[in-house]
Amino acid sequence: MTKKIPVLFSVGWNACINCGACVAICPQEAGFISPFDTIAVDRPCDIACMLCEAICPVTTITHELAPLKTN
Amino acid sequence: MARYRPYFTLYLGSMDKQYDLVIVGSGPAGATVGRFAAQAGLKVLIIDKRQELGAPIQCSGAVSRHALEEVGITPNAEFIQEPIYGFGIYNQIGDCTTIDYRQLKGDEYGPEKGKKPLGYVVDRRRFDRYLMTMAERAGAIVWLKTEGLGYAATGNGHCDVQMRRFNEFLTIRTRILVGADGLQSQVGKWAGLRTHIKITELASCLQYVVDQVETEGLLEIITGHEWAPGGYAWVFPKGHGYAEIGLGVIPTMTQQNAQWHLKKFMEQSFFQKRFKNARILEIQGGGVPLASPLRVQFADNLILVGDAARHVNPITGGGIHTALSGGYIAASFLIDFLQEDRDASAKNMEGYQEQWLAALGNKMWKLHGIKTKIFHNQNIVERDQQLYATMSDYFSPHSEYKKI
Repeated sequence: MTKKIPVLFSVGWNACINCGACVAICPQEAGFISPFDTIAVDRPCDIACMLCEAICPVTTITHELAPLKTN
Repeated sequence: MARYRPYFTLYLGSMDKQYDLVIVGSGPAGATVGRFAAQAGLKVLIIDKRQELGAPIQCSGAVSRHALEEVGITPNAEFIQEPIYGFGIYNQIGDCTTIDYRQLKGDEYGPEKGKKPLGYVVDRRRFDRYLMTMAERAGAIVWLKTEGLGYAATGNGHCDVQMRRFNEFLTIRTRILVGADGLQSQVGKWAGLRTHIKITELASCLQYVVDQVETEGLLEIITGHEWAPGGYAWVFPKGHGYAEIGLGVIPTMTQQNAQWHLKKFMEQSFFQKRFKNARILEIQGGGVPLASPLRVQFADNLILVGDAARHVNPITGGGIHTALSGGYIAASFLIDFLQEDRDASAKNMEGYQEQWLAALGNKMWKLHGIKTKIFHNQNIVERDQQLYATMSDYFSPHSEYKKI
């Protein structure tokens, strides 16, 4: 099994056509959505399957590694 | 003493806190469930988080006349963009199977008085609003800018639905919750249903509404891995002399995105001359499931309809007809169910899915089998031939799937 490293997604809003495909393909639990009906961009995704990036018809989703959690 | 409420809240209508049905999502499926249920005397609340239904547009808008009429929708100029009289199915190099009902059944189909179209391309903004209006006129309450947040069974045969309406948090009690919230269904996820769709079964779609491209009242479908790997491309009439050109691709079958493929299709395909002067007027997209229906479309106090239940034709990706007829089936089931006053346990809700499978679902499963077999063929030439033949056959007047 591969260990997934949490990522933080970023949506390039200029190219986003609000098609909802990223949310439709997302295997996260309910609520992993931004107020603009894209995948969430304000919290890390710990699944990091990248399907949202693959489905985006205009390739406007990118990611960076999420900052490490500190307690 | 009654608490003061801001004026606009009063202005927005009913504030009842208890319903027979709460429907999340006022698309074709949700509005149809709401309309028939309200007509039968049930107390219905439809909520939708959008400010304008149908937008942003994620659909090409093609629907058969039969699909409208079978659920009591009279074709209306308010939502029709252009009548359709048949199909043109193309293979990769531009050979065409034309199925034009103006020629096949000329006494029945045509633009002339006394004849009918086969179907329509509709404006989803106007169409969805029209269906919502029908539901409201039948007695359903509709709240826009109202987002569902979650639900919980109350233990007395009801459930509480949490929602937010213009920033105000509300809890509404209902006997049944209907998830009609589209492919991105959150309602299904609240209930723990396996709504996850495989990446190999969700087409990434992009379409342009264009000026300066001629059409002839036909839905044109262009197959071939070269143009749309895993899916197909389309050219549909859009009214007022406009057309829509689009395609869907399966991300695992290409290194490029839908936008790149659409550009290539417009500039390099056998239609390059036809598209030479195309001017883009609107840009739309979406994820279109070429997938099987959900295996479980019900839970305690809850059912799913439309895209949320993946009631979508796995060959064409068409979802309006399936949403309308699925909505009708759901409403019929719920009307009977609530009259009998049985408890709304998942076990008792299963009857809905059984009725749906018998009427539509089993055929959709069969279509999914055909589609899967085609795309599992690794030989691209053979696969292209099979898809072209299947599409041509699917739209033929003798197809057993014509009404799906």
